[in-house]
Amino acid sequence: MKTNRWRNRILWMAFLVCLVLIFCLTAFHRPILNGKESESSSDQKHKVVFIAKSTVSGFWKSVYAGASNAATACNLDLTFEGPKSEEDYETQNQMIAKAVEDGAEVIIFSAVDYEANADAINDAAGKGVKVVVIDSDVDSDAVSCRIGTDNYDAGCKAAEAAMKDENEEIHIGIVNYDKNSDNGQKREEGFRDSILRDERAGIDAVINVLSDTENAKKRTKKMLKKHPKINVIVTFNEWTTLGVGYAIQELGLKDNVRVVAFDSNVVSVGMLETGEVDTLIVQNSYAMGYLGVETAYKLINGYSIKDTIYTDTIAVDKENMYDEECQRRLFAFEKSNKN
Amino acid sequence: MKMADRIKEAVKRFQQISLSSLFVILVSVIVMITSVVSLLIFVNLYRNDMEQNAITTSEQAVVQVKNTVFNYTEDMNDIMQMICANIQKEEEEANNFFSNLLKIRSDVVAVTSYDMNGKILKCWTNGQKLKENYIKNLSYVRDLPQEEGILNITKPHVESLFVDYYPWVVTISQNMQDANGNTIQVAVDISFYNIADYVDDVGIGQHGYCYIADDAGNIVYHPQQQLIYASLKEENQKNMENGTYIKSNVIYTVNSLQNCDWHIVGVCYVDEMITNKVERVVSSLVVILAIVLAGTVFLGSVFSDLFSKPVTSLVRAMGEFEGNSAEFVYHPVTGTKEISALSDSFEHMAVRIQKLMEEVRQEEISLRKTELKALQAQINPHFLYNTLDAIAWMCEAGRNEDAVEMVNALARLFRISISRGHELIPIEKELQHAQSYLHIQNFRYKNQFRYQFDVDEACLSYYCNKITLQPIIENAIYHGMDRMVDEGMIRISIHQSEDKIIFTVEDNGVGMTEEQCEEVLKKERSDRAGIGIKNVNDRIKIYFGEEYGLTIKSELDEGTCVTIMMPKVTEGSYEDK
Repeated sequence: MKTNRWRNRILWMAFLVCLVLIFCLTAFHRPILNGKESESSSDQKHKVVFIAKSTVSGFWKSVYAGASNAATACNLDLTFEGPKSEEDYETQNQMIAKAVEDGAEVIIFSAVDYEANADAINDAAGKGVKVVVIDSDVDSDAVSCRIGTDNYDAGCKAAEAAMKDENEEIHIGIVNYDKNSDNGQKREEGFRDSILRDERAGIDAVINVLSDTENAKKRTKKMLKKHPKINVIVTFNEWTTLGVGYAIQELGLKDNVRVVAFDSNVVSVGMLETGEVDTLIVQNSYAMGYLGVETAYKLINGYSIKDTIYTDTIAVDKENMYDEECQRRLFAFEKSNKN
Repeated sequence: MKMADRIKEAVKRFQQISLSSLFVILVSVIVMITSVVSLLIFVNLYRNDMEQNAITTSEQAVVQVKNTVFNYTEDMNDIMQMICANIQKEEEEANNFFSNLLKIRSDVVAVTSYDMNGKILKCWTNGQKLKENYIKNLSYVRDLPQEEGILNITKPHVESLFVDYYPWVVTISQNMQDANGNTIQVAVDISFYNIADYVDDVGIGQHGYCYIADDAGNIVYHPQQQLIYASLKEENQKNMENGTYIKSNVIYTVNSLQNCDWHIVGVCYVDEMITNKVERVVSSLVVILAIVLAGTVFLGSVFSDLFSKPVTSLVRAMGEFEGNSAEFVYHPVTGTKEISALSDSFEHMAVRIQKLMEEVRQEEISLRKTELKALQAQINPHFLYNTLDAIAWMCEAGRNEDAVEMVNALARLFRISISRGHELIPIEKELQHAQSYLHIQNFRYKNQFRYQFDVDEACLSYYCNKITLQPIIENAIYHGMDRMVDEGMIRISIHQSEDKIIFTVEDNGVGMTEEQCEEVLKKERSDRAGIGIKNVNDRIKIYFGEEYGLTIKSELDEGTCVTIMMPKVTEGSYEDK
């Protein structure tokens, strides 16, 4: 009798275990199927909002190209926006709040202001929105992933390019943009640390200009007039590059002043060719956009991610600008020939 | 040692496993093995099939792309020939032709002619401004190879000749003779506009695609050209001979264009397709397996109810029957047809055996009774002769009264002995029987012994086996008194105690050893006819059971005491015996 009962109990146990097994399998089964269904159905896309510093510069256009390519590949609903002025952190904060309201799952963000954007980002993170930072950092612990150029290293590369100058004394003028913008400051820091190892080098002037061509041109001209000894100008983003380029062009100093600048667009490449700009530090903007959205996709689907991803930079000058590698980085590949 | 013991124990346990558990285990194992094996076979077949499928699809797609791209390049070749024909014409006519061409063919970015040194002779574009000083002309190819029917196409490059205009192009170049017999080179820069159209929309499987590469495996056009330029992606297929290359989880299919050094490469992720589907199949198979297992366990319990359980109870019943067949009561076991048949047969057999056993027992008892009765009827002839001798001697001596008394006693003795064939008689009669016997013997052994009765009057009406006391008294006289010098004494008492009657016959004769006592109780009397002590004991036991009967206590030279125990039997209760 005893063994009989014992055996019965075992049979029942086995039966229960099987039931549980079936239950678990069907339970695990369904999400997989559901996941596939939602992947194939277009109306239930995950919403990702990309808030950039600007939407008009060549750099950000390229970032957008990468981001939208990734959004198509990952089947995400991507909104790309940015303030008109690259100093307008308030508009960015509003955009963050609106994105949270609209039900964005991930915000991909490039901060105009390292500190002033922090609260808005923390608020958003507090509401469960994941944050990925691109290019320019924000003072927040809520950021899941930071993607961009190793700005300090990029500054060092700029210094290397500047040191190619053959003058006995290198008088440097730095044209940087908003002091609160993290990436510009890091680039400057890297540049300073590197260039000051060269005995010839001395920093004559540092100006912080607005991130637009006109203002940069005006201030650069003023600086050059005030410090006529300057023979190297370093500047750290696309708009200030154009400003400096135009200033050099208007002052006719392209053979006297070596300009090390950042990012590329059609105009700055033209300046590189004509000699107003001598070296461009070009970031891999397309990769930033692509990786930003890909990381957002990974966050939504719970894959593991790295907390920092560095994209590479290359230094381009007149000699190597038509090398295959530099071509690829300098000139956006567009499938249509509509300019 | 411990291990060995444990293994032995496990084997033993396995041998003791019940039928239904065995059934469950066997079916589970079989199902498991079949599923796994069939799954493996299925996956293998499916994989091969999918791979074949993927290769076929890939090949088809690649051929399709190849044909379109081939047509496109042929088209370009035609344009090139047209350009070569028109470039010699009058300035105005040529300009007209080129402006029309550039308008119609939006994918043609620029048409340029060079002299032998690579200097630009003429350049027609869609309104782009030529740079004053270009750093590098990527559209001009020095030392252009001349091969009939082969288009000279450069690697993709940026158009570097125009102000603020940097589209990605490939250049098709051809040498020709101008009117003066000088060799000039004509270069047509073509954007990827059309090529992208042909290549982008071709998908192979879920994530597969086609791309165009040159002889060295360098990518000319890739649907994800931007990713490749941003170093986020690369293609590892460098072998550009026609064919299919399977690399771990990617199938590359290469097909080459005949008229230039372009190759169409199809990329197909087989593993992704297969693992996805196999995963689904595996999970549904696991579900099926689980269901089958549950079903097996359920069936096992049903099987146990139908077969194993009844068999177990049958086995138990058989064990019980083996242990105590007489009092065994069979409860029929229900189950399948076979089980019921088995149960019925066993029941029949058990009942039959019980019946036979009872019959044998009854037969034995009646046989024994008959035997004993036959013995009772016998009279010790010596006793009769001696008694008759004694009576004759008394008559001769004129002791008529004694003779009469003797004859009366003898008559009573025989009358009671026979008692109309009844086995049980009232104790009173038995007492008379004993008295008559003692009376007779006392005449014969004059003054050799005395006797004394001590009888509880209440006992007299109970019944007892006839001729119970006489053999014991006889034994006491022959064995106890015969060889005694002093006068013997026989004391007979009948008492009751609770539900028993106790007879004791005591003498003070020579006594017996323990062996003798046992012998008396065991041995059938053989020397003389008549009823022995064993016979008395046997009869009491047969009639009343094992707890009744004789006990003998004896000590040499002291005497013997025989105790007989019997139940209180009243008239009628044993009538039929």
